[in-house]
Amino acid sequence: MTDDIDTLPSAPGAETTPRHLAPGEVGLVSPRDFIYAQPFSFRSGQSISGFQLRYETYGTLNATRDNAVLICHALSGDHHCAGWHTPADKKPGWWNNLIGPGKAVDTRRFFVVCANVLGGCQGSTGPSSSNPETGRPYGILFPFVTIGDMVRAQKLLLDHLGIVELHGVIGGSMGGMLALRFATDYPRFTRRVLGMATTGRESAQAIAFNEVGRQAIMQDPAWNRGDYTKDAGPRVGLAIARMMAHITYVSDASMDRKFGRRKKNTANGDAYTFDVQFEVEGYLRHQGQSFINRFDANSYLYITRALDQFDLAHAHGTLEQAFAAVEAETLIVGFTSDWLFPPEQNRQLTLALLRAGKRASYAELSTDLGHDSFLLESEELYGLVRAWIERDQPYVFDYAI
Amino acid sequence: MTKLVEKRTVDMEIIGDWVEPNTRVLDLGCGPGVLLDYLVQTKKVSAVGVDLELAKITTCVRRGLAAYQGDMTEFMAAFPDKHFDRVICSRTVHELGDPTAVITEALRVGRALTVGFVNHGFWKNRVDMLLRGRKLRNPVYTTEWFESRPANPVTIADFEHFCAAKKIHIARRAHLAGDWHSPCRALPNLFAGYALYDLAR
Repeated sequence: MTDDIDTLPSAPGAETTPRHLAPGEVGLVSPRDFIYAQPFSFRSGQSISGFQLRYETYGTLNATRDNAVLICHALSGDHHCAGWHTPADKKPGWWNNLIGPGKAVDTRRFFVVCANVLGGCQGSTGPSSSNPETGRPYGILFPFVTIGDMVRAQKLLLDHLGIVELHGVIGGSMGGMLALRFATDYPRFTRRVLGMATTGRESAQAIAFNEVGRQAIMQDPAWNRGDYTKDAGPRVGLAIARMMAHITYVSDASMDRKFGRRKKNTANGDAYTFDVQFEVEGYLRHQGQSFINRFDANSYLYITRALDQFDLAHAHGTLEQAFAAVEAETLIVGFTSDWLFPPEQNRQLTLALLRAGKRASYAELSTDLGHDSFLLESEELYGLVRAWIERDQPYVFDYAI
Repeated sequence: MTKLVEKRTVDMEIIGDWVEPNTRVLDLGCGPGVLLDYLVQTKKVSAVGVDLELAKITTCVRRGLAAYQGDMTEFMAAFPDKHFDRVICSRTVHELGDPTAVITEALRVGRALTVGFVNHGFWKNRVDMLLRGRKLRNPVYTTEWFESRPANPVTIADFEHFCAAKKIHIARRAHLAGDWHSPCRALPNLFAGYALYDLAR
């Protein structure tokens, strides 16, 4: 996921009302930590003595404890999906356009939960957390994490919050994988699933891109087999991994529109140097630099590995068997310009659910923004989310022919 | 909240009569899901619709129906033989690019196929063309020529000929008069405004 979600132009009067105080926004929010103080076993067979998940909630859990909507983030996302942490924040949470009072995911009606995944580095336990046995960061001694492990940890959080069933779970990209695993692993708990720009398993091309990112990190001498302190580490490798991955989240058309062949105003205008010349170069370098200040290289290795390993069909024999237990109503949304998890992979998920006899829908949005289109500010997308989440009262037929 | 009311039409009622309760139904060109919603409410069918337009899919999802945005032939290719108890192609057949391929495929994935269409052989449609010389307009052909997808108008005689030529068994037929309401009892290609066929292999 990219960092640069374009925000709406300020409404008239926005100068007087700061956005975090505006009506229709969740406003100022604070993350919280869920501590699970019992041993937790991973799919790999390895275990840790306990873990922490950092999460945020918006809205109120109702008396029947069944109005919760879980938001699942993508590879580089986090628990902060709506609102502002401080009035000085430049940007709100990453899915602020979707979540808030009166928005498609209406926080007046739903209790929205979003947690940083297990293995992450934004406050949840992961390779950069302190290993209680050594007092140092786990590094690559951290157990291998799977999408299923992430889901199981988040289920423990939802149990802790007293949620008896999920009204819905929403995720894009890797978040869609988590949403699907909620449906297969907790069928009675998960009433609705909305997966966008997602897949039941990555193609060779997607795995290949992840591997190049991992190699950029691991070939950086500062990686030191995962043993580095918080302020050191493979900053060059991680930045390169991010620069390359960023290209896979957008599209040829959207990059061309944003940058074209425009050049930076460099001092001497000399074409015969390897300094930044094109705007797109400067942009990618900025993406890489801002990423290393917020993301841990080992987490990047672990989470991309979890993405590559995710394979619903392989785990159950066929996709139809994987979906056999699903009780959720599912909506899958593909985006025409997504070449990382292309529409075809999203269609295959829907078709397999339908072959398994499940209630599943597929919708496709025509965009040219690539994989990150799920973050799009689009009334069509909001309309779909509303239709999926709210559902009208049944239509009444007039039998007087 | 205002009550959401849909008008049930006679062709809808006939299609409903032909559908067995608690069966699996596929609607090709489901639009906003009015027919499927009716079948779910009256026959408790397990329903899925296919349509090309996002807005139609959104409305189906809002109704709680399963709907798939995409090409109907590609959709059917993803299903095993006889996966559906019944496939329905209502008010859509004239828009098909390759009617033979769609109907053949529908008879593979479905045990039965219901087709409903406007009869272009209806005398008023013939006279209207003769006198006005303009494209037919009615609740199926709702748009002007220049706002319409390519249409491939069909008559009852054409359709019967098609079934005979392709050796498709006609299990039931229903012909409605020009009001699309009362039954048409004689010379349907001339006197029926609307036709419904229940097909099998």
